[in-house]
Amino acid sequence: MNLAHLHLLMNHVPTVGSVAALGVLLLAYVRRNEHLKHVGLELLFVIAVLTLPVYVSGVAAQFQLQEVPEVSRDAVMVHQDAALIGFAVIEFAGFVAWLALWQWRRHGRAGQGLVPVATVLLLLALVLMGRAATLGGEIRHPEIRAADAAGEPAGDPKRFMTSAIGQVAVYSTWVWPAAEAIHFLGLALSFGVLLAVNLRILGVMKRVSFGDVHRLLPWGMLGLGANLITGMFFFVGQPGQYATSDPFLWKVVFLVIAGANFLYLTVFGKAWPHREGAVFDAGVADKAMAVLSLSAWLAVLYAGRMLPFLGKSF
Amino acid sequence: MLSWLESTSLAVWLQESPSIWSLPTVLTLHTAGMAVLVGASWVLDLRLLGIGRSIPLSAYRWVFPTLAIGLFVNLVTGVLLFVKNATTLGTALPFFVKMLLVVASVATLLPLRSLVIRGGSEQGEADGRARLLAIASILAWTGAVTAGRLLAYLIV
Repeated sequence: MNLAHLHLLMNHVPTVGSVAALGVLLLAYVRRNEHLKHVGLELLFVIAVLTLPVYVSGVAAQFQLQEVPEVSRDAVMVHQDAALIGFAVIEFAGFVAWLALWQWRRHGRAGQGLVPVATVLLLLALVLMGRAATLGGEIRHPEIRAADAAGEPAGDPKRFMTSAIGQVAVYSTWVWPAAEAIHFLGLALSFGVLLAVNLRILGVMKRVSFGDVHRLLPWGMLGLGANLITGMFFFVGQPGQYATSDPFLWKVVFLVIAGANFLYLTVFGKAWPHREGAVFDAGVADKAMAVLSLSAWLAVLYAGRMLPFLGKSF
Repeated sequence: MLSWLESTSLAVWLQESPSIWSLPTVLTLHTAGMAVLVGASWVLDLRLLGIGRSIPLSAYRWVFPTLAIGLFVNLVTGVLLFVKNATTLGTALPFFVKMLLVVASVATLLPLRSLVIRGGSEQGEADGRARLLAIASILAWTGAVTAGRLLAYLIV
């Protein structure tokens, strides 16, 4: 199996997954079921995390398709632009869902308006992802292409959003270095917060209740968000450096594991007393998750820093 | 002196060895050390600025042994990285700016440590001096990390 194959397998996750998450959320509204709402938000977050490998494997597939003469480069670029917009919206929806889940864990309910906003963003993401999926299908299936779209004139390749980002990445002297600096600052911030939270689970600061440490998680999310944005800028700007690089693919695998683990840290456990002074120890499973969390983030850091050495980036 | 450093067998090994245990591992350890050092500092700084104010300040004692580990790793790997490019780094303004910012950041850790060990302001608001220290620490580390990352584009 190659990455193009992986893309064909995974490309249904954003659309089918969004339908499922949207269905659960709407059903939760109809039945006024809070538990179902919680599940819908968790599902949305997981789909947002899984959309990262879908996007990355799509760009890898693009590199493999370049050698196939009958594939239209424009059709691929139109699909890629649509996919990037869909990706951005679903990540934003996933972030709002995460915020709602974090408040839920902290205050026992989500802040007003957050769940409806997440639902509307999810609906928008579904529409955009549906469009991206259709345009993706048309790359290899001209029979489904709308008649009027077939004779689209080939124009300036820079009219594509992803190419325009590539131009900035290559020709601007300061944008790339600035994004690198932010990427390292975001790394330090998110790692510091995750270190504090996971050390608490592992038994350091036992007198502090988990609810108090949980308060720090949005700052970790701030670092992760900065790194997702700057990281996607690197990837979209210079895809050739990453899409076919083994350490980068490992980095994405560890990011998915670490992302799922971040959700666990946000929502887990009835076992934690919310505001009590009592010394409280985490269970073995929670401690295992804390070790997994720190290991996965260190693996992300390792694969990222080793990109030029284990792979051939830069 | 600088060119002698750069021609030592250690420097040559870092410059030329194709081994993954040479420059790649030193660079990666320097980055991991940064994450520990800057990350743990910032968590404490955030507490002093009111993020997680329900956590007693004395609960942050773990930060200092953690910082010591990060600082040790980055001193050792930092010396190695300097030796590798001693002539370029040793004469470059951005490098001295970075060193100044690192020294300033580490200097904020000492009063912060006595603040935590002394256990002042157990819960709730930290006083004005502590808040100033926290802001200085955040800014100095931000500058140090940014200068360090930009060295790759400005000189080496």
